[in-house]
Amino acid sequence: MSDAPLKTPFPQRAHAALGDAHLQEALTIATTKFIGLRKESFAGFPAGEALRDRARAIKEATLQKLDAHLERLADNVERLGGHVHWAATGDEARDIILRLCRDKGVRMAVKSKSMATEEIELNEALEAAGVKPVETDLGEYIIQLAHEKPSHIIAPAIHKTKGQVADLFSKELGGRFEADPEVLTAVARKELRQKFLEADMGITGANFAVAETGTIVLVTNEGNGRMVTSLPRIHVAVMGMEKVIPTMTDLMVFLSILARSATGQKLSSYTTLVRGPRQPGEVEGPEELHLILMDNGRTRQIAGTLREALYCLRCGACLNVCPVYRQIGGHAYGYTYPGPIGILLTAMLKGTHAVKDLAHASSLCGACKDVCPVRIDIPRMLVELREHVDRERIAPLGERMVFGLARRAMASPGLFRLGARLGRLAQRPFVRNGRLTSLPLFFGQWTRTRDLPPVAARTFSERWKDLDRP
Amino acid sequence: MTTRADFLGGIRREMAKTRGLFEARTAARPSDAGEAFEVVKRQMAERWPQALTRFQEEFERIAGVFHRVRRLDGVPGVIRRIADEREARRILSWHPGALGLDLRESLGRQGLSVTLAPDDDPDAEARRLHRDEAARAEIGVTGVDWALAETGTLVLVSGRGRPRSTSLLPATHVAVFDRGRLLESLEQVGAMLEALHADPSRSMSGAVINFITGPSRTADIELTLTRGVHGPKEVHAIFVEAP
Repeated sequence: MSDAPLKTPFPQRAHAALGDAHLQEALTIATTKFIGLRKESFAGFPAGEALRDRARAIKEATLQKLDAHLERLADNVERLGGHVHWAATGDEARDIILRLCRDKGVRMAVKSKSMATEEIELNEALEAAGVKPVETDLGEYIIQLAHEKPSHIIAPAIHKTKGQVADLFSKELGGRFEADPEVLTAVARKELRQKFLEADMGITGANFAVAETGTIVLVTNEGNGRMVTSLPRIHVAVMGMEKVIPTMTDLMVFLSILARSATGQKLSSYTTLVRGPRQPGEVEGPEELHLILMDNGRTRQIAGTLREALYCLRCGACLNVCPVYRQIGGHAYGYTYPGPIGILLTAMLKGTHAVKDLAHASSLCGACKDVCPVRIDIPRMLVELREHVDRERIAPLGERMVFGLARRAMASPGLFRLGARLGRLAQRPFVRNGRLTSLPLFFGQWTRTRDLPPVAARTFSERWKDLDRP
Repeated sequence: MTTRADFLGGIRREMAKTRGLFEARTAARPSDAGEAFEVVKRQMAERWPQALTRFQEEFERIAGVFHRVRRLDGVPGVIRRIADEREARRILSWHPGALGLDLRESLGRQGLSVTLAPDDDPDAEARRLHRDEAARAEIGVTGVDWALAETGTLVLVSGRGRPRSTSLLPATHVAVFDRGRLLESLEQVGAMLEALHADPSRSMSGAVINFITGPSRTADIELTLTRGVHGPKEVHAIFVEAP
């Protein structure tokens, strides 16, 4: 896994995205549609608000006894004939899978959509080890053929047009395909059906895992999650440890709000509850089931700033409503998880350093918190992250100097008055129509995207002094 | 290599540092799962007609096709029509012990090829054969464990004679159910699942429970809704009036 900073800094990535007219249009259409679907779904569901409160409480209660729930989950999975692996890091999770591939002679693995495996960059590792990974979610399949990264948690290929997909399929699969979603979907069905039947291993994530029954829960719309857990001889599920929930009753609470938040459906087409490998008498199902419980930076946050981010269900609702995401899309964020929650998860997985710019990629408008099915207070944590970035002195030098000066001036009336006077003089050449629209040096960073009101001819405290008071 | 003890030890160390957490509880569950199961059964014995109406409404909303027959012996006729309209010949069915109906007798004689899922302990060769059949079949016929009215969902528990792929690999899925299968809410499904796991005698033999809510679908290309991406393109539910 590359922990090196990305080559292009975030402001440049964001700038490039803003200049991409096609991306802008695709983002607007997709996010607007998702927002509408979600809204409509909750509008016709009066119990929804109370269920969101319950879901939030379940997540918190589970975290408060996380060790016990994980033990119970592991015991039950093993009792049912599954194997449980404990991975402290992403590297370790990958090594466990690679070792399984080696030991079991795996040559091809089919995958259903999983952010956890994206998080550990599993596909690259499998390829390097001579195992062919095949993404089977249609969006992920397109992305894989194009050698790109997903741009949205639940709609990975929203940045591609049907024309681009048709060209891609024609080039990669051989043939000439019409730019019609129906035709292209049929092409993928045929291509991937064969892969499902041939693959040695199926790799999934887990939306939930029920501790009391040892059940791994997968939610999909296409049915690929079912294929991957039914046809290959080995099933490997990679799961962030915070996905454990206590009981089936709890599961029903989450199911009733998850799809509504993600796509506006009452339930996704398929919710698959997997309990162990093939059982006696069954004609199908894997011979082996492996559950990998992954930490990868999560434990640190149990008592950390980002604790609440461990509630996240990965529904993507906060992406759709975020004014920043809606403008720049998922790629510009630069890491596995985009959008408001993605900034927090990136900080969790990669450390504060990775989000020194991203921590500011939010207007703190609070729309993300409003739509989050478990009401995660994302804006509060973003503010705390900014504080960390500042305290650890990893913010850009210019920014730190400006804010350092501002802080000093604000704390001392004398300096503040002096600053106002100097500002009035210094700003003269730059005031246009009563606004500061273009400043020199690194001050220009601010005025590049917004105006600044000039220092008033007379400040409030000067006017206050002259005021006639009884 | 991280051991279970290392992993959980790390979590416990961090848990010990947490302060000022708000009091939170998990969802309240029935104190007696078996009793809750009986309560739901009693509720539905009265309320099934409303549940059926709601089921049909929701099922059709998600592009399901609803059929209704008087008695179990009306089912093959419906399947015959579905097969004719799609020019399908190969039918894969749950074992009669799980479905309550032997389609070989009726449809087999009408020139359709009907394969039944095995209900013994299939060896590797039998499993391979079944998989080839499942991959070739055009219509898959299953029973239903619960039909959930609130969402138009069919819940199917896998097991002996009831393979999980019958409702997945064929392009058309046909599910047969009666009034005893109807439930109103996800909450009730939760109660049934609690009971299923609490009482070993009710425990199922299979490893998978599938909630099927309409046909397989995707909107991954330009958000255009397309059906039948990996799983069935069509889902039919046949309601049998006679209990």
